[in-house]
Order: sequence, then structure tokens, then C-alpha cells
Amino acid sequence: MTALDDSGAVSVLAHGIGAQHDLPLSPFYAFAGAFAALFVSFLALGLLWSASRFRGDRAGRPLPAAVQRAADARPTTRIVVRALGLAAALLVVLYLVLGPADPERNPAPGAVYVLLWVGLVPASLLFGPVWRLLNPLRTLHLLVCRALARDPAAGRPLPPRLGTWPAAAGLLAFTWLELVAPDPASSTALLLFLALYSAAQLAGGALYGARWFDRADAFEVYSGLLARLSPLGRRPADRRLVLRSPFNGLDATPQLPGLVATVCVMLGSTAYDGFSDAPSWITTVQTSALGRTTTATLGLLAAVALVAALYALCAGATRLLSGQLPHPLTAFAHSLVPIALGYLVAHYFTLFVTEGPRTVMVALGTDNPASPGPPLGPGGVATLQVLAIVLGHVLGVVAAHDRSVRLFPPGRAVAGQLPLLVLMVAYTIGGLALLIA
Amino acid sequence: MNRHLRHPDRAGTPPRGRRSAAALLAAALLLGASACGGRATTHHKPGTSHEQATGSNGRLLTADDGSGNRLRQVDAQGAPEVTVAARPDSEDGWNVHLAVRNFRFTPDSVGGAALLGRGHARLFLDDHPLARVYGTWFHLPKSLLRTAGGGTRLTARLYADDHTAWAVGSAPVQATTTLGGATSTAPAPTLGTTVEISVHDGRVSPAPGRTEVRKGRTVRLEVRSDRDDTLHVHGYDKEARLPAGRTVTLTFTADRTGLFEVETHESGLLLTQLVVR
Repeated sequence: MTALDDSGAVSVLAHGIGAQHDLPLSPFYAFAGAFAALFVSFLALGLLWSASRFRGDRAGRPLPAAVQRAADARPTTRIVVRALGLAAALLVVLYLVLGPADPERNPAPGAVYVLLWVGLVPASLLFGPVWRLLNPLRTLHLLVCRALARDPAAGRPLPPRLGTWPAAAGLLAFTWLELVAPDPASSTALLLFLALYSAAQLAGGALYGARWFDRADAFEVYSGLLARLSPLGRRPADRRLVLRSPFNGLDATPQLPGLVATVCVMLGSTAYDGFSDAPSWITTVQTSALGRTTTATLGLLAAVALVAALYALCAGATRLLSGQLPHPLTAFAHSLVPIALGYLVAHYFTLFVTEGPRTVMVALGTDNPASPGPPLGPGGVATLQVLAIVLGHVLGVVAAHDRSVRLFPPGRAVAGQLPLLVLMVAYTIGGLALLIA
Repeated sequence: MNRHLRHPDRAGTPPRGRRSAAALLAAALLLGASACGGRATTHHKPGTSHEQATGSNGRLLTADDGSGNRLRQVDAQGAPEVTVAARPDSEDGWNVHLAVRNFRFTPDSVGGAALLGRGHARLFLDDHPLARVYGTWFHLPKSLLRTAGGGTRLTARLYADDHTAWAVGSAPVQATTTLGGATSTAPAPTLGTTVEISVHDGRVSPAPGRTEVRKGRTVRLEVRSDRDDTLHVHGYDKEARLPAGRTVTLTFTADRTGLFEVETHESGLLLTQLVVR
């Protein structure tokens, strides 16, 4: 891997794409954010309800029947959306194979790293788990099954211990490509990744049926986790589309094996993205005797491992304080999703609003257009970043509080959630520190 | 400013009579050489060999100018004269002006025989050769000063086409001015930020850091790499070739806020990050 370093590759040490980064946060904003997070945490401990309020999947106000019919209409809406997903994927592959080699003139890297990876965040927050419908691999699997006159759902049952571990691995592989790989925006790298990823996913689909994608497709799981915070949801009991509080959506996150790993990869990779902008880390990478790619890979793995180790430590402390828990590790993992969302918004907002339109312009035929200027000034971006991180923290604290009053006996609920509160404060202050760095 | 600067054209043209006489002389020399000498033994036209010609213009002295070129003494009456002035450039280095009298720049015939009142000038910085000059105006970039080892004493000396130095009274015809001092504090550089970076053996020194720049100010990157490379400022999309071992200056106005990376393309090194607020 280190041999690639000498190949004259264009250095992209931070994002896979994008020419500009946000300004480092001024300490004023960071301190304001940190104090707000601490304040809210202890306020929550003392003032929030003492009996669980969230009803998870059973909650929600059904949408009018007409909306439901339009959304579920099989020949029109769903097929059109599936066809769009497949067509977009085909276009990206064609651009990668036939398009210009210069990443500035080829819309494919932007389509993958900005429109897909970052764009999934707002799309999932607004419309729910959209990638489930758009996923070209799922559509491809469906088409092949149709052609073979086979039931797409047919296949071996998934091993119960598998959970979302394949998705966590897929996310790690993708973030490695984006943040660590020597030349992430090159057509070769992207084609290689997409080919390997598609092959693995389609093989899994052939073996286990369409349910494989629910658990193992990195982007479906990612989109699904973020969609837990969407006001739009589907009630499993009666398949109705409902408007619901994000807390109820979050509360209904299935506690699958691998959930903690998935969330830790989301947090750790975003943290590494922030960290990898710091000149001190860049110096380390540039001067390391191990070679750049190896050092950066170790950095990414260390970031994920640190996030996971802190979480495991916290879960252990929770168990010590409050006795038996059925699944001590996964019981609170859902409350980290809003924190990860805060990290994502803080790190990728500017990238999305500048490189997203630029990618579309390139795809529409403009040759190497300039990115549109950021819509927010430096102060606006800093405020948004701090608000996103603190708001994610607040949502996480509230979600964890409700879960702990449900799981713990009343006398131990406050003590039981202390380790988690400390962990969240650590993640939040860590996230703010990364924005200063 | 001295009075020569106001009439550079007139000052640079020798009197008409002397000029035509010199031209006739040159023509006669050339004709004579080609008529009597038969075929030249080299590709050089007669009188244009690398040897220092001993034309009838002035007297060759045994003394040299300090860098191996012999002096060619002429009478003080009608001898070439030079004065030099330098003023800071708003972007980079200095603008040097040579005012000459009884002298013409003849880039076309350099290497040829010495003719009175013709030739070129050479610039020296603290006696180190800097550049050969074929006209009255010359831009002296800072990188050139650095390549020469630095210094403040700029000397302009007049040479004949055969690379002998014109001299009067055993002293070369030259003028000296001082770079820096009171005139060097031009307003432009103080408004900008200068970053000096060198890359050696894949290592960046000083180690990559952040450079704070006020929006709207000028950024000057002075980069020296020990191998051929390309300098690139992300976001502003400024590029410059970095020939090995030469200091290259890239100047631009920081008109957008953000964090921008300055890097080399071939070796893929981050040099610094510009924090434009």
C-alpha cells in the first residue's frame, strides 16, 4: 500500500473531494457549546421525566390516506424511484469508465462522496430510509430474481449473530477510501471499490435473499439509522406512514448485534476526518517511516477504536452501577446516533452546499465550474457547527434518559445513566475540540 | 532620480558622426576579414570567436574585472557612462533602471568584436554576478537575489560585445546603488503575509502549520523544493512550477475566507494551511 505513495498521486489528505475546508472554530463558540452541553446534561438528569415516555414503533400520527397511496403506489412512485436509483448508478459507472480522468471535470467522484454519502444525511432525515428504495444493488437483485422467476426474498436465513456487522465493515471500508486512500477521487480507486463492494453485496443477496441488504448494505444501514430521526416513519404494526417524534423513531432502533460497531464507525470516521485536517497530524503522516497510507489507516482505526473503547468502558460502568442489563452494550447505542448526526452536519455542511451544486453542474456539462460560494459566512458556519453538535448531544441525552428510566429500577435510574452522560459529554467536547483543531 | 533618467533615449544614443564612423569601420573589418582570410576555420563568423577580440576600440589592459573579463580602456572623452537606480516593486523584488551615456545596448551582436559605445551591462550583487542586461529596464526578482546569496550592493558595469569591460583610467565603467534601506519599505509588502517554505528530501520546513491571513490581503508564498514539482493552492487554484533548487514566489490576493491547503502535487506534501478570515 505504501508503494502507491510514490506514484505521483494527487495528494488529498482530507476529504475525498472539495477544495476548501471550514475555518477552525474560534474558542468562544467551542466554549459556549461545551457549557451548553454540560448544562443541558445535568438539567436533564434532574428535571426530565421519571417514567419512560417514548413508545417507539407504536407512536405516530398517520398521514392522510391519499399521501400513503401516492407514496406506496407500486407502478408509479416506487418503480420510478428504483429506476432513478439504477439510472444514476449506471451514469456514475459510465462517467468513471469513459469520463475524463481529471476529478475536477468528472462528476462521478462528487456524486459518490458528496451527493450519495453526504446527501444521504438530509435525504434520510427528511424522507426516511431512502436508500432502501434507491439502492441500485437491491434493484439489480430484484431484476435478476424476476428474470429467473425467483422470489427475491428466498434464501437462507441470516445468521442471528451477523446483525449489522457487514454494514459496519462496509462503512469502515468506504470511509477508508474517502479519508485514507492515496487517491480517493481517481476513477480507478472508485471503480475498484464499487466493483468489490457490489460483488460482495450481490453475492450476499444471492445467498440470503433481499433481507441481506437490510442488514449488510452499508448505505442502507447508514441511511436507516439517520432515518430514525426523521419525522416521517412507517409503523410496522399496520404499515401506515406516520408523522412521529424523532425520539420515538430513535427509540424503535432495532438492537441488533453490530449496532454499536456501526455507530462507532460513524463517529470515529467523522472524528478522524476532523482530526486529519490538523497540521500536526498531517506532519505525522507525511514524515512517518511507515508510509502515509499505513499511518493514516492506523489513525482511522485508532479513532474508531477509541470511540468504541470509551463506549465499552461506559457500558461496563453502567452495569457495575445498576446491576443486570439484558444487552448492556446495545441498550444505549441508539442514543449515539444523534451525536453522530451532529458530527456529520458540523463536518460536511459546507462541503455539501458548495461541492453538491458543483457536481450537478459538471454532470450537466459545464467544464470545470467554480464552486458556488458558501451560503453562510464564517460566523454562520461556526454557529451552525456548534448548534449541530450541541443539539445532537441534547437529543442523545434525552434518548438515553428515557431508555435508562425504562430499564433501571427507579432508585438506580439517575446513577445508572451517569456513565453514559459522562461519555456523551466527552464525545461532544471531543467533537468541538476537533472543530478547533 | 538623476538627470539622465529623464532622457534615456537621447542619453543612450552616441553622437551621429561617431556612430556612422563606427559602422563603416565595422563593415570594413568584416569585409576585409572575409575577403582575405578565405574560409573561416570554425562556424563562427570572423571576429565572432569566443576569444576576446583585440579590436582597435580602446586598449586591452591586463587587469580584469574580478570575474575573468579583461578591461578595455578608452579615453575619458566620449567614454560610456552609466548610472543605476533601483526601486522596490509592488509585488516582488526591484525594478532596476540603467541610465547610459555614449552607449547602446546591442544584444544582436553579442559575442562579436568590441565596438566603442556598444555592448551590454552586467549586474552584480555584492560582487557576485547576477544577470546580463540588454536594455535600460530590468526586473530583479527576490528569488534571483536569494540565488545569488543575498546582498544589498547592486553594481551595473558596462561590457563590450566581446565581454571585455569598458574602463576609463584603469577602472571599469560602473555604477552602484544600494538595495533596501529607506526605500525598501514599500507599502505593499507590509500589507501582505509572506510564507517561506522549503522542501528537502520529502520533508517540509518549517513543519506544516497554519498561517493566519486577513481577507483581502496579499499572500506571498516563497517555496523552494529540492526536486521538480508543482505548487498548488487549493480553493484559489493557483499553480506554479517548482524547478528543483530554485525559490519560486507565488503571489495572490486572499479574497475568500476559509481554510485552504497549500501543497505540492508530485510529491503530494502539504506545505501549509492558509486560514483566511
